[in-house]
Amino acid sequence: MKKLFAVALGILTAIGGFVDIGDLVTNAVVGSRFGLGLAWVVLVGVVGICVYAQMSGRVAAVSGRATFEIIRERLGPRAGLANLAASFLINLLTVTAEIGGVALALQLATSVDPMWWIPVAAFGVWIVIWRARFDLLENVTGLLGLTLIVFAVALFMLSPDWGSLADQALRPGPPADEPVATYWFYAIALFGAAMTPYEVFFFSSGAIEEKWTEKDLAKSRLNVLVGFPLGGLLSIAIAGCAAVVLLPASIDVTSLSQVVLPVAEAGGKVALSFAIVGILAATFGAALETTLSSGYTLAQYFGWSWGKFRRPARAARFHLAMIVCILVAVAILATGVDPILVTEYSVVFSAVALPLTYLPILIIANDREYMGDKVNGRGMNLVGTIYLVIILVAATAAIPLLIVTGAGA
Amino acid sequence: MILSDLLGSDALEADGRRVGGVVDVRLEISGAPAQLLAETVVTGVLVSPRSRVSTWGYERRGENGPVVIARLQRWLHRGSFLVSWDDVELVDEGRVVFRDGYERHDPMLPPAPKT
Repeated sequence: MKKLFAVALGILTAIGGFVDIGDLVTNAVVGSRFGLGLAWVVLVGVVGICVYAQMSGRVAAVSGRATFEIIRERLGPRAGLANLAASFLINLLTVTAEIGGVALALQLATSVDPMWWIPVAAFGVWIVIWRARFDLLENVTGLLGLTLIVFAVALFMLSPDWGSLADQALRPGPPADEPVATYWFYAIALFGAAMTPYEVFFFSSGAIEEKWTEKDLAKSRLNVLVGFPLGGLLSIAIAGCAAVVLLPASIDVTSLSQVVLPVAEAGGKVALSFAIVGILAATFGAALETTLSSGYTLAQYFGWSWGKFRRPARAARFHLAMIVCILVAVAILATGVDPILVTEYSVVFSAVALPLTYLPILIIANDREYMGDKVNGRGMNLVGTIYLVIILVAATAAIPLLIVTGAGA
Repeated sequence: MILSDLLGSDALEADGRRVGGVVDVRLEISGAPAQLLAETVVTGVLVSPRSRVSTWGYERRGENGPVVIARLQRWLHRGSFLVSWDDVELVDEGRVVFRDGYERHDPMLPPAPKT
């Protein structure tokens, strides 16, 4: 019974933890412009994150080492540093977007200007990272994030024309009034949002934090393979809501209030409050995960002691690095830049950095010195390599498309 | 001396002919005991004739997965060899010169012990 509970908890937190500000905003934007015409990208992205999250979890559990420690060891200090610089900067951008997202969610709940909420959100993130136990911070935000299921409920309550939704999803391609480049630009943004690199750093470091061994692998595989696809369904529900309500009214998504508009229309205030709690939990949880990831990557590359399982005084540089990251994020937000805009850029740049994260994991998962007989099988390598090609194509196309489409304008 | 003094240097023979670039360094942990680890001693340099890109660890154990990347790496670093530190005559800014009659070794390490 206890075991069953642990498995259920893991799956539920994986669902709630899958969605972050990037998924929320990008799915709503895409839904309001293309309907479900890009739902296939979420599908491709979810399979990819399942493959690589599972792989990085296995590397961590078998070798007892987190991803970035091994990246530096196996790829050498210079390739590792280039990797660190790119991953860290993009992660910092994501931290900024998530903290901004928390502030926006609080604004939705209170109508107080988000500028006032930014310091509160930042302090909240810091104090939780400083004080709370690892499993606690992961489970609470993950479970509360489940209230986002209200988007799926709202989709049903809107009683849409299922036939036309299915038609959009099954016959992908740009609508007549949108240029092809814009369609592919948003495809890459959506792919970047689903496969955000921090999830892998967080997943593998989390495996060390929770002291996984090979015995925990089956459980972790179940969490990933059930939780992430269900999280992906939530993403599609968000896009679906936007497709039903915002697309016909040609409303552009420029703030969170438009993201939740369909929910309010379908279920009134009760549904709206569920959505706000869900968004708050999802962005706050992701803010914790990304902040921790920036600490993890830096500490693992430079060989500092790290981890929530140590007291802050025993991992001083790890905690200091995270405090600096939070302060930098606050400084960026204090310039008055729109957090939604930061989010949109962060998912595109995530797509650019994807090969840097996923290539080393694929290499290390094949290394017998670390993995013994638990190296990738042929099937896993085939899928991993196919995804690496997809990721490379997306990464090279991202910046040109960003420029050509004027960031999807 | 720090690692970046060696990495990326030109590898030259005694008569000044360039045979490649130093892409990696073999170390042994066998020096005087220090605070965390014993000091490391350089035992050899890895020379690749055609590329200065990191070998990503593919030269050590004959790892061959994932196939595409392993092939690419092997092709980039074809003809690379290990030169023992005793055969290094001179280390200068940006170049390493080997002594006359130096030996080229296979960079492969003995197979990993079963764990």
